[in-house]
Amino acid sequence: MTQPLLEVRDLHTVFSTKEGTVKAVDGVSFDLTPGETLGIVGESGCGKSVTALSVMRLQRPGKIVSGKVMFKGQDLTKLSEYEMREIRGREIAMIFQDPMTSLNPVFQVGWQVGEPTRLHHGWGAKKALASAVNMLSRVGIPSAESRANDYPHQFSGGMRQRAMIAMGLTTTPQVLIADEPTTALDVTIQAQILDLLRHVNREFGTATILITHNLGVVAGMCERIIVMYAGKVVESGPTKDVFAHPTHPYTWSLLRSIPRLDAEKHEPLKPIEGVPPNLADLPTGCAFHPRCVFRVDRCTRDVPALLRVGESQLAACWVTQAGGELTGA
Amino acid sequence: MIGPSRVAELDVPAAGVETGAARPAQSYWNESWERLRANRVGMAAGLLIVVFALIALLAPLFSLVVTHVQPQTINLDDTFFRPGLRHLLGTDELGRDTLTRLIWGARVSLGVAFLTVAMSLSVGTTVGMVAGYYGGWIDDVLMRFVDMVLAIPAIFLFILMSILFRPNAITLAAIVASVGWGSVARLVRGEVLSVKQRDFILATRSIGAGDARLMVRHLLPNVLPVLIVAASLGVGQIILIEAALDFLGLGIQPPTPSWGNMLTNAQSYFFRSGFLVAFPGITIFITVLASNIFGNAVRDAFDPRLKS
Repeated sequence: MTQPLLEVRDLHTVFSTKEGTVKAVDGVSFDLTPGETLGIVGESGCGKSVTALSVMRLQRPGKIVSGKVMFKGQDLTKLSEYEMREIRGREIAMIFQDPMTSLNPVFQVGWQVGEPTRLHHGWGAKKALASAVNMLSRVGIPSAESRANDYPHQFSGGMRQRAMIAMGLTTTPQVLIADEPTTALDVTIQAQILDLLRHVNREFGTATILITHNLGVVAGMCERIIVMYAGKVVESGPTKDVFAHPTHPYTWSLLRSIPRLDAEKHEPLKPIEGVPPNLADLPTGCAFHPRCVFRVDRCTRDVPALLRVGESQLAACWVTQAGGELTGA
Repeated sequence: MIGPSRVAELDVPAAGVETGAARPAQSYWNESWERLRANRVGMAAGLLIVVFALIALLAPLFSLVVTHVQPQTINLDDTFFRPGLRHLLGTDELGRDTLTRLIWGARVSLGVAFLTVAMSLSVGTTVGMVAGYYGGWIDDVLMRFVDMVLAIPAIFLFILMSILFRPNAITLAAIVASVGWGSVARLVRGEVLSVKQRDFILATRSIGAGDARLMVRHLLPNVLPVLIVAASLGVGQIILIEAALDFLGLGIQPPTPSWGNMLTNAQSYFFRSGFLVAFPGITIFITVLASNIFGNAVRDAFDPRLKS
């Protein structure tokens, strides 16, 4: 196996709120190998975005209390803010959910796309703009040269997301973190942006972390996925294995709640009962147990660790770790 | 890894349906300027201020060419002249030409007004920006200080300062600005608080921009519209304050003419010659009115919150 590019180990990020300390990221570990696309899935509020922001050290007002983020032999959690700024945008780039608000409304798009090169390579205005125009045309902005002079409000949502991706790529980073890049876009544009991300991954060799709550997106894009629930990783493994044989009841339920072409006929869609727990007031034992149809006594008492289940997957579930099968119900 | 030579090989899916012909760039600034230009009354008021400012700048020329007297030139043969051809706006008790004095007074009044606005904007913007951007205890300390500044009864502070520093145009501007920056700081802080929540600030941090760059290059331009509005509305207000201070003898001291101290002087001769009161009064009135009308026009054109 190739050496991982990014190793996240036992990461804990907390927020202080009036209700007490909220563990938004509670012991998350994962690897990202060069050139791969890793999916992080889960419902809203399960800690996906905070995990990504913590990697970039942009989790404020949250605090990383423990854990490591190893990147190229250095622990990003230990770097000074100044050193971290050298990583952001140069080595690891990030694109955000809402392209409508992710661009500064008062600047021309070309200027903004060129900002990372001015920051990191010290390029002058002309050179930065030329590279921005080049990058804009490569992400599929038609007549990029004149479009670079447009302001964000003259771009459509899809084009803004393309511009954000272009901005991320100007410095050819090794890691691209895409936080729900298609959620705010309509379906046809979603498909275009996903195509583009696939392209970027292939042509630039950029390792991509794709955060989404859309399992369909993950299935088409990612070699491996991580499923998060209540700040913890509950299952991880190669996408096709996880989809074929989920080893955590949460993944199992998620997969049953969406329509699939390969499903058996007349199989009804089953939404997951209940809502994700309040992170400030987690249930005892496994956080998923109140919504779990396979729960056993132990689930309400002890927190399961993330352990190998089956050949290629890891799961944090007492049932499957004991050899139980997830069927029926 | 990336080179222009590979562009051709890339089969990047183009933004198909979104393809649009290039349009001329319509920036926020262009749009606002167009809106301002469409407001005729506002533009006329603005033009009036510009003309007054030009006249003030060229005051020595006017003395030489138009009125042929200096503002301090005393002519005891020509006291209390009525407005006429010899003295367009009449003369005062010492035979000094009122028009000349008004023109020289404009230098003081407008000069102090612009200088005050510049001072309160630069201090207020810096403080408001730092408070809003960093938040936490920095915000608390700075804004409580602003609250204190704004709680000081301004007129007493002005009196005290005028006693401590002999007022000239610059110290007077500094004295008025020492209170004026507080409200600017509040305004800017509020704006920064709302702008910094927007995603593009996080996005800008994510490309590695530091605090200083974020504040000056990315936040400040977003706050600029509010500053422009504050500045244009502030001018009229400060002209009034300055005139009041001069009138009370706390501002520019005679014999240097200012609109305010011309009024002070005139009150003794109110019944001999009402013109001595009327002309400085009307001048102040017109200037302040024009400033306010222009300020409102600028606000209508520039304030992002008023945009539909």
